[in-house]
Amino acid sequence: MAYLSMGEAHRRITDYLSRFSDAVSSQDASALSVLFGVSSNSAFLQALADALRVLQDSDRLVERYSQLAEILSPLLRCLQSYGLGRYTDAYVALEKAANAFLQEFRNWETAWAMESMQTVALEIRLLAEKADRELSSSGKNPEKLQGAGSFLMKVFGALAGKGPKRAGALYVACQLFKVYFKLGTVHLCRSVIRSIETARIFDFEEFPVKDKVTYMYYTGRLEVYNENFLVADQKLTYALMHCCPEREDNKRMILKYLIPVKLSIGILPKQWLLQKYNLVEYSEVVTALRKGDIRLLRNALREHEDRFLRSGVFLVLEKLELQVYQRLIKKIYLLQKQKDPSKAHQVKLESIVKALRWLEMDMDIDEVECIMAILIHKNLTKGYIAHKNKVVVLSKQDPFPKLNGKPVSS
Amino acid sequence: MEWSTNRCQKLGLRPVEKALNPSPSSSNSVRYHPTRDPKQTSFNAPQTSGNPRLDGDKELRSSDSPFLVGTCLEMCPAKERAQRERLRDLSVFERLDGDPARTSPSLAVKKFCRTISNVDVLESDIRPLPVLQNTLKYLMDLVSSSEHSFEVIHDFVFDRTRSIRQDLSMQNITDDQAICMYEEMVKFHIVSHKRLSRCLGKSDLSSLSHLNIEQLMKCLVTLYKLYDINRKSRLLHKNEAEFYSFYVLLHLGGKIPKMGDSLSLWYRQLTLPVFQSNEMRFARALIRYSHVGNYKRFFNSLEAEASELQLCLVEPFLNEIRAQAILYVNYSGYKLHPYPLMHLSNILRIEESELEDLCHVCGLETSTDETGTKILPVKQTTFCLPKSGF
Repeated sequence: MAYLSMGEAHRRITDYLSRFSDAVSSQDASALSVLFGVSSNSAFLQALADALRVLQDSDRLVERYSQLAEILSPLLRCLQSYGLGRYTDAYVALEKAANAFLQEFRNWETAWAMESMQTVALEIRLLAEKADRELSSSGKNPEKLQGAGSFLMKVFGALAGKGPKRAGALYVACQLFKVYFKLGTVHLCRSVIRSIETARIFDFEEFPVKDKVTYMYYTGRLEVYNENFLVADQKLTYALMHCCPEREDNKRMILKYLIPVKLSIGILPKQWLLQKYNLVEYSEVVTALRKGDIRLLRNALREHEDRFLRSGVFLVLEKLELQVYQRLIKKIYLLQKQKDPSKAHQVKLESIVKALRWLEMDMDIDEVECIMAILIHKNLTKGYIAHKNKVVVLSKQDPFPKLNGKPVSS
Repeated sequence: MEWSTNRCQKLGLRPVEKALNPSPSSSNSVRYHPTRDPKQTSFNAPQTSGNPRLDGDKELRSSDSPFLVGTCLEMCPAKERAQRERLRDLSVFERLDGDPARTSPSLAVKKFCRTISNVDVLESDIRPLPVLQNTLKYLMDLVSSSEHSFEVIHDFVFDRTRSIRQDLSMQNITDDQAICMYEEMVKFHIVSHKRLSRCLGKSDLSSLSHLNIEQLMKCLVTLYKLYDINRKSRLLHKNEAEFYSFYVLLHLGGKIPKMGDSLSLWYRQLTLPVFQSNEMRFARALIRYSHVGNYKRFFNSLEAEASELQLCLVEPFLNEIRAQAILYVNYSGYKLHPYPLMHLSNILRIEESELEDLCHVCGLETSTDETGTKILPVKQTTFCLPKSGF
């Protein structure tokens, strides 16, 4: 690192401070956002961090910016710590600066600084994540992200009102979702969702599209976990439709959850889609559904168990079993129909047992009867079971109704 | 490790070393400690040195004060005993010769009391580990030997064990002995779960039952942390897999008050050895069978693999799945082929007469055919799940 003179250090710091002050007085939110961009690691901020290290006594320089000093003093400390890779210290300082900024933000009548407030929200979350990683790796309790969540709730509260600041609330809500998902405290999303959707504060259409997409993505995922497939389908499809077309990675993230939903309502994606978005873990699941191969489904779930559990879709995929059985029984029926159309609608339970055995699935006749009873009850098969004859008698018309966009009835 | 397991400091002196990093209370109402970053591979190695603090249950202690060391050598501090005698606030188990205003050191057990902070708590009010162990043993013996009705016993032991956990927490006792005690208390709640569901009229039952399940889950969550804290190598603790399986089994039937999120998300934080254990695999399979409705495999599996405690936990749910089986059989059957009850009762692991009763409870009629075999006429339209459960 080149030698940095005191004079040069002094110049850099006063430059930053006056930029900040000018941005506030001229209400230039973009300029202000840049100055808050701790994690951007821009050359500008790195240079500033170097300067802060050389000139230890920056508080003296901050004094003249009286009102803004509460923000600037900890902000400089944050930048300095960040530059030294001390993320926990950086976070603590940023939280102070952010709280002070929030105070000012609340007092400003107009929403001019919304973009900056959002930048602060983002930086708080990113830095908290870094801080927690640092804490964990040194054996300490990682609690900064949780603190970030509290701060973000405060910001959300400040935006949830009648004024023009409303429009920025969805962005902050999404930051909160990201925090809660990361922490695993997903149930805390509920109150945020309630504020957005049911309290009469917001008009959802007012929000910027990109925020709506993110919102729908997270709430869609929640619906998947709660197995509300129709709502999940709506939300995730919305996100997919309105997502920026160039962002293939975002589309992939949405599809990762949308595909299990679609499968649950009987809609199968084509293999090329799975290839294109690198979602090949679903490939065998789709094949199993197409072919009626239970073994393949179970294998697929076992092979990608890790990934499916991580994304939380494992239980959804497990339930596809019934649809796979439906497909299998249908195939047996079709084969019988070819051989002898007049008797095809009567399927011996024993034939099903044999077919399963051939697929290396060990099911006795009682279990087959049990599965058939379930299929009939859930309207995946139309017919009845003649218990004494150990035969399933299928309806002559449409014995295997398709799901047609509705989930299996429960 | 900075804390010592020898807690009996008769002079009541606080240990010189302060607690490790007591972190300030956050403003969220429930402290939740994820054990990993979900973006990493989904399974961690079991942690070898975890967070030494037990704060899964905020009501147990305030997080700002240093840990106490108890000096009370009786099951109930003398001060509390005297006060409760005066106020005639003695449980039926604590009364000397049935006198509602008199107790004794061998009968009185410290009550649970919500504390806001530890500032006002005296060490003479807290019982050290050996006393807590004896108290727990006393309470557990009471459960098996007392002649009072179960709800009364449960109520008493429920409260007094909560107080034991409070004392453990305030002294930050987190060693193997704590594990044993927590496991005992979990067992108590599991057995209660089964016994409570069998007795009482339904309305009072459900709130008692809910409270019991709530405490059961709190104990489990703390117990999981204890397992982490005491981990010496990558191996699981002796009972760890089974006690993890309880959490899964509690989700059968979907009626329990959830502690947070769906099972899907809970699985994400498990370590690989726990997840791959036989007990977990079994519990997950049961959930899968019950979701799909596969009663045949459900009962086969249960009979083949369930431990005594797992069976206890699952028992209140069994009639629900049997009712579902009756529903399917009735719906999908052929009118001219009534279903033989014996056949179904074998599959459902129940006596034929009990199955008959269950059909009636679900609004269906049963009858006998010409050979005297009991049957369920199918395609009846009166099936109805009893509103208040079984």
